[in-house]
Amino acid sequence: MSELQVAAPRHDGAPIYQLRDVIKTRQSDGIGFQLRVPQLQIGLGEKIALIGESGCGKSTLLDMLAFILEPSQAARFQFHPGGGREGLNIADHWRHARRNRLGDLRSQHIGYVMQTGGLLPYLSVRQNMNLSRFVQGLPDDDTVTDLAKELGLSRHLDLKPAALSTGERQRVAIGRALAHKPSIVIADEPTASLDPFAAEKIMSLFIGLVEELNITVIVASHAWRHIKRLGLRRLAHQTRRTSDGKLTETVVTG
Amino acid sequence: MRLFKVIRLATRDYRHEGQMSGFYILALAAVLGPMMVLFGLKFGIVGAMVDSLVEDPRNREIRPVGSGRYDAAWVEAVRARPEVGFLVPRTRSIAASMDLNDSSVGRILRVELVPSAKGDPLLPARLPTPAGYQRIVLSASAAKRLGVQAGDTVDGSVARRFRGERERVHLPLTIAAVAPAAAFGREGAFVAVPLLEALEDYRDGRAVPELGWDGSAGEPRTYPSFRLYARSIHDVAGLKLGFEKQGIEVRTQAADIELVQRMDRNLSSIYWAIAVIGLVGFALSLSASLWANVDRKRKELSVLRLVGFRTGDIMWFPMVQALYTGVLGWGLASTIYLGAAEAINQLMATQLAAGQTVARLLPEHYAVALGLTLVSALAAAGLAGWRAARIAPSDGLREL
Ligand SMILES: Nc1ncnc2c1ncn2[C@@H]1O[C@H](COP(=O)(O)OP(=O)(O)O)[C@@H](O)[C@H]1O
Ligand SMILES: [Mg+2]
Repeated sequence: MSELQVAAPRHDGAPIYQLRDVIKTRQSDGIGFQLRVPQLQIGLGEKIALIGESGCGKSTLLDMLAFILEPSQAARFQFHPGGGREGLNIADHWRHARRNRLGDLRSQHIGYVMQTGGLLPYLSVRQNMNLSRFVQGLPDDDTVTDLAKELGLSRHLDLKPAALSTGERQRVAIGRALAHKPSIVIADEPTASLDPFAAEKIMSLFIGLVEELNITVIVASHAWRHIKRLGLRRLAHQTRRTSDGKLTETVVTG
Repeated sequence: MRLFKVIRLATRDYRHEGQMSGFYILALAAVLGPMMVLFGLKFGIVGAMVDSLVEDPRNREIRPVGSGRYDAAWVEAVRARPEVGFLVPRTRSIAASMDLNDSSVGRILRVELVPSAKGDPLLPARLPTPAGYQRIVLSASAAKRLGVQAGDTVDGSVARRFRGERERVHLPLTIAAVAPAAAFGREGAFVAVPLLEALEDYRDGRAVPELGWDGSAGEPRTYPSFRLYARSIHDVAGLKLGFEKQGIEVRTQAADIELVQRMDRNLSSIYWAIAVIGLVGFALSLSASLWANVDRKRKELSVLRLVGFRTGDIMWFPMVQALYTGVLGWGLASTIYLGAAEAINQLMATQLAAGQTVARLLPEHYAVALGLTLVSALAAAGLAGWRAARIAPSDGLREL
């Protein structure tokens, strides 16, 4: 696979996300940050990479795509979990503060992997991985056991997260994000806290699993190096700072 | 269904953090336990004090001034009123005396006769009561002068002038009991009303067929006076007013009653002031600690939010844990109280009458303590949980 091919936009599948003029502004200590998405379309089954230095707004975008952060403005924010024509109007859900409805959508369609943590210390590895199934009342079948085997966690299933290494914890987090077979997995720098060797290994394990399960994936990373061989579409973005230095703006398109 | 899942997760977390949960339980009991001891003492001591004042028969007595004409129907009607604790009619005081003679010593003593019956406030409830023509209760000084005690028999006699002749009748009397000195200071005997009526009839020259005493035919009886005790001191004023409306002048211990009532009121308001201040402080400290606990768990609650738990579920998570802390803490506090109360009551046992306690709580006090604990715990945890559910999961998850 050549890099040229990878970078080329692919809109083969039906769109799962359709965003137009979505803006998030944040303010802290007089320094403003704005993320602008004039146009973004992500197809079902696509593998997207969001690469950029720290602070450029990767988490901001991913959190909006995971419905855990409210956009400041959104002309259009459609979500088509099954790839069908009829989409769900996420902007509308936020406007009417339907937090529980958004929560239901997350539990059914979205898996989320955080940079670190996000595991519940009082649950075992098995229970943590099963959490996304537990909340929906999905049956206790072999899914978690099989996933654990693929992630190399079989020996740790009955341990609490506190007994695991950082890398193992990230693998548990990946397992939890996949266990309920979501339409899309969103991973925010899932390997940033690991050493380069482990990071590369876990990342390719993750992408391999996603491909095997045929799940759409969006992964953020500050280093293209780790993932350039994995066949992901890289989302284009530009970051610039206003002349007075008071506002940083990132524009994402794709 | 979801609530059930939340209960399972909250229980796991509570057990996982066993030590922390233990501290919260301990912290709750450390405030509530001593407060229950304090209230137990207040309730026990103040309660006993007020009870003894309220129940003092001297303060409950209503005495008619001068003499009237009260028939049996009137007595029955007044006795039936709920404010009336005890009522017996008196016969004419001129006729209410008798000569007692202890045959073994040969000493003769004239005693005043006090009409009595079951439930006489002047006589301790555990003593046998005067009854019929035979059983009487002697006052302490009379018993001492005669040198008799409970169970002895004495000879009672009265004299009259009848158809120009002096005559005397005798009656064997059993000393059912000797009254405590406080009941009646002079030489006297508590006797049943029928005996007093018989003695009055005899003196007046009327026949008493039941005792085989000769005389003229009887007429409808009226009583010149009565012995009346209100049920409690709070009923005295009302009864007095009622009698005055009927034209019966009565005397009561109004000044003393006023004093006792004021004291009762003052002690009660001090008691309640302390109770309210203490309970509000307790509720606030419990709420603050549970609130802080939810803040500590914000990130974990955001994880639950992330995987799809709803606002209500997020609220229930800390509420379930607050429920555990509340119930277990209250249980521990009650145990602390029971231990302390037992120790205090033992310590003071020698200074107390039988059945009296220094520290005392009623079942409803435990219930109030539990209710208050749970209400403030659930309110604080629910509110804190609601706040945690309101913040965007994105912010909650990225908290340091
Ligand atoms: N909760 C917040 N409040 C205010 N500003 C924030 C907040 N979170 C992030 N920011 C700002 O938004 C910008 C983008 O942050 P983020 O999306 O986390 O970047 P990245 O994930 O690429 O490192 C940063 O400049 C950061 O300072
Ligand atoms: Mg980030």
